[in-house]
Parts: sequence; C-alpha cells; structure tokens
Amino acid sequence: MKPTNKLTVPDLISIGVFTALYFVLVTIATFSSAALFPGFNNVVLPAVCALISGSVYMLLAAKLQKFGGISVMGIVMGMFFMTSGHFIVSFAANIVMGIVADFVAKAGSYKSRKGLLFSYVLFSYGLFGPVLPMWFMKDAYVANLEARGKDAVYIAELFANINMGTFVFAVVATLVCALIGGWFGQKMIKKHFVKAGIV
Amino acid sequence: MIKSENCSFQYNGTDTKALKSLNITVNPGECVVLCGKSGCGKTTLTRLVNGLSPSFFYGELEGSCATFGLQVGRAAIEDYVPVVGSVFQNPKTQYFNVDTTAELAFPCENMGMPSARIKERVAECAAEFGIEYLLDRSIFRLSGGEKQRIAFAAACMLKPQLLVLDEPTSNLDYKAIAHLHDMIAKKKAEGTTIIIAEHRLAWISDIADRYCFFENGTLKGQWSADDFRKLPVETLQSMGLRPLDISPYHRQAVEKSKNRPAGDSPVIRAENLSVGYGKNSPVYYVPDFEIHKGEIVGLMGHNGVGKSTLAKTLCGLLKPVSGVIAPAKDKDRIRHSFMVMQDVNYQLFSDSVREEVLLGAANPEMCDEVLAALGLLEMSDRHPMSLSGGQKQRVAIACAMLSGKEFIVLDEPTSGLDYYHMTQVAQLLSKLKEQNTAVLVITHDEELAAGWCDRVIYLDDKEK
Amino acid sequence: MKLRLDPRAKLFLLVLSNLTLFLHVSLRTEIMLVVLLLSLYFLSGKTKSGLRMTAVYLSLVAADLFVIPIAEGFVLNFLSMLSVGIRMMLPCVISGGYAFSTTTVGEMVCAMRKLKIPEVIIIPCVTVVRFFPTIAEDYRHIRNAMALRGIATGNMALLRHPVQSLEYILIPLLMNSNNVAQDLSVASMTKGISMPGVHTSMTEIKMTKTDYLYMVLCTIPFVLFLGGVM
Repeated sequence: MKPTNKLTVPDLISIGVFTALYFVLVTIATFSSAALFPGFNNVVLPAVCALISGSVYMLLAAKLQKFGGISVMGIVMGMFFMTSGHFIVSFAANIVMGIVADFVAKAGSYKSRKGLLFSYVLFSYGLFGPVLPMWFMKDAYVANLEARGKDAVYIAELFANINMGTFVFAVVATLVCALIGGWFGQKMIKKHFVKAGIV
Repeated sequence: MIKSENCSFQYNGTDTKALKSLNITVNPGECVVLCGKSGCGKTTLTRLVNGLSPSFFYGELEGSCATFGLQVGRAAIEDYVPVVGSVFQNPKTQYFNVDTTAELAFPCENMGMPSARIKERVAECAAEFGIEYLLDRSIFRLSGGEKQRIAFAAACMLKPQLLVLDEPTSNLDYKAIAHLHDMIAKKKAEGTTIIIAEHRLAWISDIADRYCFFENGTLKGQWSADDFRKLPVETLQSMGLRPLDISPYHRQAVEKSKNRPAGDSPVIRAENLSVGYGKNSPVYYVPDFEIHKGEIVGLMGHNGVGKSTLAKTLCGLLKPVSGVIAPAKDKDRIRHSFMVMQDVNYQLFSDSVREEVLLGAANPEMCDEVLAALGLLEMSDRHPMSLSGGQKQRVAIACAMLSGKEFIVLDEPTSGLDYYHMTQVAQLLSKLKEQNTAVLVITHDEELAAGWCDRVIYLDDKEK
Repeated sequence: MKLRLDPRAKLFLLVLSNLTLFLHVSLRTEIMLVVLLLSLYFLSGKTKSGLRMTAVYLSLVAADLFVIPIAEGFVLNFLSMLSVGIRMMLPCVISGGYAFSTTTVGEMVCAMRKLKIPEVIIIPCVTVVRFFPTIAEDYRHIRNAMALRGIATGNMALLRHPVQSLEYILIPLLMNSNNVAQDLSVASMTKGISMPGVHTSMTEIKMTKTDYLYMVLCTIPFVLFLGGVM
C-alpha cells in the first residue's frame, strides 16, 4: 500500500473516528442550543456546531490530504442523522455540502488555509438539514390555525418576524461562526499537531 | 518458516536503523521469544514478519525477510492474512467490532466465507479455548485479560501457520497471563510457529524454545530455552531484562504487606470504606487505609478488585459509597492529590514541555531544577506528544512534583517496561519520596513492589 | 415471540415517516401511522421506550387539540407552534429510534452489503459505532486529569473559559483518536479488512412475510389520505 491518491483502509478508519467525534460535537451543539435558545435551536445549531468543530475538520483534512475524505464524512454523517430520526432532507444536505466542500478543499490542494476555511464554511451548511423542515411545518401549521378559525391577519403577523429574518440570521451566523471555528481549528492544528510532528 | 538475510529497516522520518542486518531463521513449530530494551528492534521484526512494514509503517528496507515464502516488501499485506495471525499490546484498541462474536467472525467475513461456515468456525474456536462464555458480549464490558483472549482467538480464526505477538501481556495481571499462556501452549502443541516480543519473560519460559536478545537494532545473542534459564539474574539485569522467575519477588512483596504504616499524621486515611461508581456497578470494600508523607505504598491485586476505583476515591475524583474518609470533602482531596495515569496522553494539554509542567504548578520556580532532575531540560521546548512513552510519563511526574501536592498516585507506571526502564521509574518514585510526598503505586509488577515499595496493600475479591 | 424486522423494512418505515412532513398529512393519518410505529416497540420488547414515546406523542396531540384553540398572544402561540413542530418531527424520531435501538451492528453491515453500499462507506460507519464508547471513556479520563490539575473545575468553568476548555478537552481527545485510528487500522488489516473480493456477513438477514405485512400496513394510512378518504 504505497502512498496513493485513493482512500485506503487506514484512511477510512480515520474518517470513521473523526466522523464519530464530529457527531458527538453536533450532539453537544444540539443540546446546548436547545438549552440556551429554546425554540430556535434548529436555527442556531449549524452556527454553534461550526464554532466548536473546526479542529476535527481541519485535522481530518490535514491528515488525509486527498479527495474523498470530506465527502465520505458528509455521507456517513447524513446516514447517521437519518437513522437517528432526523428529517430525511438532512441526509441530502450533508451529502451535497460534504462533496462540495471536498471539491473546494481540493482546489487548494488541501493546503491552502483560505481554501480549507471556505470549505469548512460550506461543510457547516450541511447542518441546515434540520432547519429546512421548518418551512414544511410552517405551511402545515398555518393550515392548522386557519382550520381552527384564527384570524388570517393575526397569523401573518405572527410569522412576519419568525421567517425570512430567522433564515438570514441562521445563514449569517453560520458563516461568521464557521470562519471563527475554522480559524481556531487551524490554529490548534498548527500549535499542536504540526509541532508534535503528527501531520 | 521465517528466514531473514541481512535484513535492515529504517522508519521514514527517523535517522537510525530500527533493525540492522539481521540474520535469523525460525523453524516451523518453533516458539521464539524476542527480548531486549524498549526500542531494541524487536517490534520492528514482528512488523516485518506480519507484513505491516513497510506496507503500513513505511520505511527503507534492505536485505530480505521471508515469512512462509512471502517476501517482505514484495508481498501485499493481504497475502499475509491467511498465513499470519497477530496480537498486539493494547487490549483496548485491537478489536474492530463492538461484540465478541462479531470480532471472531470478522477475519472469516473478510475472506468471504459463507455464513454457516463462519458460525461453525466461531463455535469451534470458542470451544477450543474454552471461551464460550465470552461469546455474544459487548467487548467494552470485558476486562483487559478477556479482551486479550478474544484478540488471540480472533488471530487464530483463519488457522494461521504463524502467530506473532507483540508484548501481549503489558496490561495484564497474572491470572489473565495464565489464561493467555494456556492458549499459546495449545497452539504450540498443534505445531503453530510462534513469535513473541515480550518484556516479561517469566510466564513464557516453559513454552519458549529459543530466546533472541536485541540491542540497538542488532541481534546480540541467541540461547536455547535451557541455556537461557541458566543465566544468572545479574546477567539478565545487565542486559536490561526482566527475571525468568518472579517467585522470590512475590514472596518479598507479600512480606511487605505485613509492614505497618510509618508515622502518626496520615495524609489520607479511611475506615470501612466502600468505593464504586454508583448504581449498576460493583462496590468494593476496603476495611482501612492510610498513607503518610515519605512513604511508597504498593497497591496490588487482580484486575477488577477495585484498585483504580479506590485510588480515584482517595484522590477525590469519586465520592465514597459509604465509610469514613479524611479529608472528607472531595474538593479538599483533589487539591492535595495528583495522579499519573496509565495512559498519560490524557493528561498532557500544552504545546511545550515547559508550559505543560508549569500548568497548575504551585512551585514554578523549581521548574528548571525538576526538569533537569528528570532529564527533560533539553526537550523543554518540544511538544509533549512528540516524546516517547517513557518521556511523556516523566513529564507527568514532573507535573506532579511541581504541583506541590502531598499525595501522588501512579497507575501501573511500569507496565510494558523492561528492567532498565523499570528501575528508572523506580528511581523517580524514590525522588518523590525524598520530596516527602506520599506515593501510592497501583501495580502488577512484583519486582517493583519487592524492590522499591515500603509497604504493599493487597486488595482481594473476598472483601467485596 | 418477539418481533424482529429486517433492517431494510425499518429503512422503509423511516422513509414513510418522513413523508408525513412532505405530504402535510392530516392528523388522523398521522395518528394511524404513529400507532402502528409505536406498536413495534411493544411487539419487540422495548416497552419502556415505547411507553415514553407514547406519552410524549399523546401530550403533544392533546396540546394541539385543546391548547391551540384557546391560545392568544405571542408567547402561547409560539409555544403551541413549538409543540406542533416537535409533534411533526415525532414520526421520524419514533421510527428512527426503533431502527437505532433494535438493529445490531452485524445486521446493519449485512443490510448495507445487501443494498450494495460500497465498503468505502461501510468501513467508516462501523468505525463510528465502534468509536462512540471510546469517546465517552476518553472524555471522563480527560476531565479527571483536568480536575487534578485544577483546570476548569466546577460546573460553570466550561462556560467561563470556553476557548481554553475547548482546547484542553479537544486536543487530548484528538490526539488519542489519532492513535486509536492507527491501532485499529493495524489490527483490522492483519485480520483482512482490506482483502479484495466479496466480504460476507455471519449475521444473516431475510425479508419475511411479517416484514412485507408491516410495510403494507404502514402504507395504508397514506393511501387513505391521498385517496381523500381521510
């Protein structure tokens, strides 16, 4: 098994190990956003997670330095999301964003710091899966309220500030947090793993 | 059989050869023990024999080394799978599945055997080693010894002609070693060739046919089992090796368990103590315990008698289930205690040795002095994780010394160490003692207990 | 006899539960499906989690039926929306939880092999399951080590020094993960994980009549809904 550009078994096992860590961090982010921002937890989840997971992502990228690792991580994340009862769209979001992020990182040969940072931002949007069902639910909820004879104007008012605003907020917050988290991750990799001669 | 001619190997990123022009032949059915200090090249030889080098542990290879016709460097690692079974040092990281039966089935599944035959083979193998009671269990719940037995059984699943064991007993107690011994003896009797790289030599002396001694990558000498047994202990010690007979040390350690604590102001004392992790986990009973400044106390007993649980309670990491302990508050005990863990990787946080030992230090002005005393001064700017296992352990001990804490626990500090490195650790214990610290050593190492502990406490199962 | 469904049947149920959201099914349709899904828990001997899920679902339905009609003001409406939101996710959670808690790793791998999922995906998936308990164990060791060093002790310390705590917890965790990845690779490669050719499974799974029956049963509510009956 000479150093190759294909994923080897040790690579796959590393991906598994780091995906498990990422999954744990997502779970921690889920609980802490539910505790800190009840009701908006799905909206802030991608941002909170992006803030804390940078080191895991950057270490995986630095260790493998080849195409496929980030994609597989996205796919495996999506599969675990699906079986742990998340909405099926999460599955798609994780896979698509995983592959896109992998291509972006590849464009920088997995070395360019800016490229990796941008790739991490994109990967973080993979967690938008759980945010999306809110749109499906909104329609259903509005229908529910109307069926119960609530005033339509009142309903419109109710949703005016919860909808577009929250979406834009989630997008911007994730961008900012992913930039900070990714930068912190890169700093950690340099401070510890590069210095210790591990990557 | 194995034949190595002028074989040398140098790992990538290192500047010395791990193995130097080795010539050795191992005959079919032979049991060969590779011994020597850490870093002497014995692990490298096991990797050349089971195909992990240079396929996985990359490096520069010279000469030839053939395992049952498979030429190292030319044969793929997959070619070795049906021929060689391997067992490694750490029980915690050498299983890939979460339950025992799946782990045994794993090699057969990879070979593409049909389900019915795999089931048959699992049952057969379990019966052969008498481990049926371990089947269908979560590996995470097994003791280290049980994990190693599963690992050995899994290595035998494909009926390999050769078994390679790399320090398989480092983390085991004597009961577990005896089980492993019987499994190996069985395979030897069946005619399987066996290669064991090992520090502890006593348990294997009746199975071994030949001992090979390595130093700095060179095969320095070979003895038949009979000749090796005649070597005086002093010769073994000068070679940095552990003794072949540990019974005198055992007697000495038992003798030391009769010693009474010295002094009248214990750092920690406890009476009628029950310790445990709470609901759903076992509770261990300790009738009385005390430790004084300037004492080295050995805490011995089989795996699973609660040694670590007791130590964690004494350090204030766990609340006692019942009983009296002084200091009574967990926080007070934490403030006075330090623990050098068996796996020191968990307790290294900083990006240089100096910062590491200064983190939480009570006596930072002693930093250089302590680093020099432990031989760490010239590596004080390096990242702790770039050091060798022994050096990391010394960093942890340096942290303990600078913390100014009066009670220090060391968990299995000499597991997997040769005689030379064991005595180095023992000297560190003496240094802690000179500092007037109370030192508690959790250990299976009778030699350490006999030579360096002031007293020994045996925990046993009966007192549960 | 306890019911055991094939993992592929469980996957089908999971997809069905997701349809409740896409299709905006009526409350009656949803209840029918949820009753069927919850019965699985009791038929498979998962009584405790079954009861818990039932309790949660019932209280959310009750909130929908009795609280929403009288809800006034932003806060109450917000809370009711929350409860509806959670209720709508619940079919997915119920079927996902069932799939997760009743499938062994062996069955999962066998199902993945039968569904022709490549080893490139299977190996990381198995590693994830294998590695979860190790993370928990490592975390406890690291917190103990931190406590003995006097770093970030106490409940609020993690929030007071978030960046430092993150570094002190994550770095040893990552270092150890890296080591474990190496050890696992070595151990599994000597056991033939990278063998070319077909890998088999000791665990055998088979779609039985019960599997098909349950899949049909759970499809009925959707047929009724789409047919306009419900």
